Amino acid sequence: MKFTWKIGGEAGFGILTSGLVFSKIANRLGYYTFDYIEYPSLIRGGHNALEVVVSDEEAHALKKDIDFLVCLNEDTYKHHKHRLTSQSHVLYDPDEFVLQEENFIKISVPFKKFLSDLKGLPVMKNTIAMGATLAILGSDLLLISEILEKQFIRKGQEVVDFNKKFAQLGYDHVKQNFPQQIIKDLTKKESEQKLVMSGNDAFCFGSIIADCRVYCAYPMTPSSTVLTTMAAWQEKTGIIVRHAEDEISVINTALGSSFAGVRSAVGTSGGGFALMVESISFAGIAEMPIVIFLAQRAGPATGMPTWTEQGDLLFAVHAGHGEFPKIVLAPGDIEEMVNLTARAFNLADIYQTPVIVMSDMFLSESHKSMAKKFIEELSTTFKIERGKTVNVPTEQKYLRYRVSGDGISERLIPGAKGHFYQVNSYEHVEDGHTTEDAQARRQQVEKRNRKWETYLAKDFEAPKIFGDMNSAEIVFVSWGSTKGPILEAQKMLASQRKNTAYIHFTHLYPMDKGVVVPLFPSGKRYVLVENNSHGQFGKLLLMETGIEIKEKLLKYDGRPFWPEEIVEYTNQHV
Amino acid sequence: MSTIQDFSGYAPTWCPGCGDWGIGIAIKTALVQMGLDPSSVMVIFGIGCSGNMNDFLNAYAIHSLHGRALPNAIGAKLANHKMPVVAVVGDGDCYGEGGNHFIHACRGNHDITVIVHDNGVYGLTTGQVAPTSQKGFKSKSTPSGIIETPINPLTLALTQGATYVAQTFAGNVNHVVEMIKEGIKHKGFSLINVLQPCVTFNKINTYKYYLQHSYKLPDEYKKDNLEEAMRKGNEMTTAEKFPLGILYQSHRQAFSDELPQLAQAALTEKQRFVNFENLYSDFL
Repeated sequence: MKFTWKIGGEAGFGILTSGLVFSKIANRLGYYTFDYIEYPSLIRGGHNALEVVVSDEEAHALKKDIDFLVCLNEDTYKHHKHRLTSQSHVLYDPDEFVLQEENFIKISVPFKKFLSDLKGLPVMKNTIAMGATLAILGSDLLLISEILEKQFIRKGQEVVDFNKKFAQLGYDHVKQNFPQQIIKDLTKKESEQKLVMSGNDAFCFGSIIADCRVYCAYPMTPSSTVLTTMAAWQEKTGIIVRHAEDEISVINTALGSSFAGVRSAVGTSGGGFALMVESISFAGIAEMPIVIFLAQRAGPATGMPTWTEQGDLLFAVHAGHGEFPKIVLAPGDIEEMVNLTARAFNLADIYQTPVIVMSDMFLSESHKSMAKKFIEELSTTFKIERGKTVNVPTEQKYLRYRVSGDGISERLIPGAKGHFYQVNSYEHVEDGHTTEDAQARRQQVEKRNRKWETYLAKDFEAPKIFGDMNSAEIVFVSWGSTKGPILEAQKMLASQRKNTAYIHFTHLYPMDKGVVVPLFPSGKRYVLVENNSHGQFGKLLLMETGIEIKEKLLKYDGRPFWPEEIVEYTNQHV
Repeated sequence: MSTIQDFSGYAPTWCPGCGDWGIGIAIKTALVQMGLDPSSVMVIFGIGCSGNMNDFLNAYAIHSLHGRALPNAIGAKLANHKMPVVAVVGDGDCYGEGGNHFIHACRGNHDITVIVHDNGVYGLTTGQVAPTSQKGFKSKSTPSGIIETPINPLTLALTQGATYVAQTFAGNVNHVVEMIKEGIKHKGFSLINVLQPCVTFNKINTYKYYLQHSYKLPDEYKKDNLEEAMRKGNEMTTAEKFPLGILYQSHRQAFSDELPQLAQAALTEKQRFVNFENLYSDFL
């Protein structure tokens, strides 16, 4: 069982909140969800929509056909009618607009009349819609009542009851007028306890699990909810959040706190990241750990702020003047986000260098079900590894940049009695003092470069392979949030008896050629799938390993891939 | 008890006669007199002749990027608010490249002490105009004289919420020492603008010039009066008169003191957070 429920209406009237409420209800009833929001870069007046895929097994991506479309205005219908089928249910208000077409199931709900009868606020249309939705899906009002209770109890029982009335109106209306249209797709079933989490939420969990103590940011879509979630968690977790004056201050504040000894992170999108770039180079030469969360959106410049793209990969890989080691990781879903984020803090401390965790709007803002025990286990088992970070030096003469075999020097937390040192943005000798000496320069360049060799030998992880490489004729190659659509596409292709495999990269840069090359046997049809127009990962793969993938499926209209699109492409271009 | 020697790193490379010599010795003297040692203070250096003090002063230190010392200092303070944090910066560094950070550091009343070497010129890049250069100042980047009027760091800091604003003169080391000590003692953002002759590239604002154009605030001067401080600070712009001393000091909680997270211990000292059960409710 799998269906898509979609709600749309005017921006500023609670569409996104009700979508999330629906996801949570579906999860509590025992189902898995994946959702996706569409909204313009403004607060009022545009069109907002949110769709939720509900399934009895884990959902990774969207589904093109809409099964239930809730139209809080006519635009919702106009924008999405091309995705309706003869089986789709369309909830709409005949007082709002007239529906001529007959090629789907019409469920009229008098939103306007209910509102005016009871003197409700426009935002309560959502509550009516939620009641109607739950009726159509054969559920009850128990959970929505609980949620309304939690949401409004601070305003008093009267407000709670008033809101509940609207849910009841929508519910009763459908029960009475459309009993034959009710589909029992959302009856309660047993399932593990799940959290409904976005990629940004997952970054927050990963950071807190890894004991991040300072998070610094300047709001920028689609990374902003990391800032607001972390800020809301300050009291509970003790983390300090600084919303600084600009992204340059953001990263330099975090570098200051990192220097002083605590795990520190920043978050931004492409434009803010651009402002941070000089300081990434600073972190590289001064050897200060820092985790940078880069949630991409469609660029260049201001681009399309609320839409998705994987357009900053090569920028991230090359960010910073001069040569220094840097690690770029890219999770493909929320579980990988939690894991890789927590790992990023260990890697930053071990290698004393910037680690970039890449996301994009599709991963950052979509919610997916996550088994609660996944987080519970990781938060208890995750081991903090700070590498050569010490509170007391192990050698009598402490040298911050001591030349070592693995390229890593002891990092002393400031404050240890009897010692002092400087970290330096200039080239330096082993004790940190500035130098322009040729031999010292070579030593320090080579020392920093050795950190990469150590990383590749100890911590680089090979891409994950989904499907059976031996029997696969078609092999998808990708990274990041395209993972979900590709996994769904693989299932669809398997049902058409097409064997596929998917090579999913998470440790993007640097790459170990010796590990990666053997994963690409000859004689297969390789397809590079990326949410950008340059095929940036393909270029990176070529640069790092010599592997060139000629066939590319690229999408760069600001929208994520539909699994159906990948299937169609695969079948058409044989 | 530490000594000047404990704080002394490499021999300075400043030009003979540069005002930085006086500031350098004043910083060490102030730290010694306050009972600090190189292990008990964090110093963040900007880029410029001032920032080059990184190699001459021993401390837990960052030699930062041009303009970025203040956010580094703010971050270091947040992580370990029990250690004093001093930023040693230049006028181009702090008021030009890092001007935005300066404004917001004042607003935030971050408990850091900012010592600005104000020589009215870019020394390290061999003599271009600075944001503090006087109107008409001829330099390599303004051969016909600068069109802009100089920034006024004192009134800027005052209007942006700094709680300690002082000015001193590199030619009077004892006074610089006093201003720095009071600045470090002050809980909150402290600015010490040090008038510093650049003997190589600034032939206008010389030792003699500052001796003629500066004056010490009188003993009876009330430093808790913002309007009076503004009036005094403004004399630099309107009358070419440079007041020396603490123009303004008030007491408002420092940023780190307003954070309940830091009420018990420094961030560096805290135990790891483990109570994840508290975070789940918003996701169910």
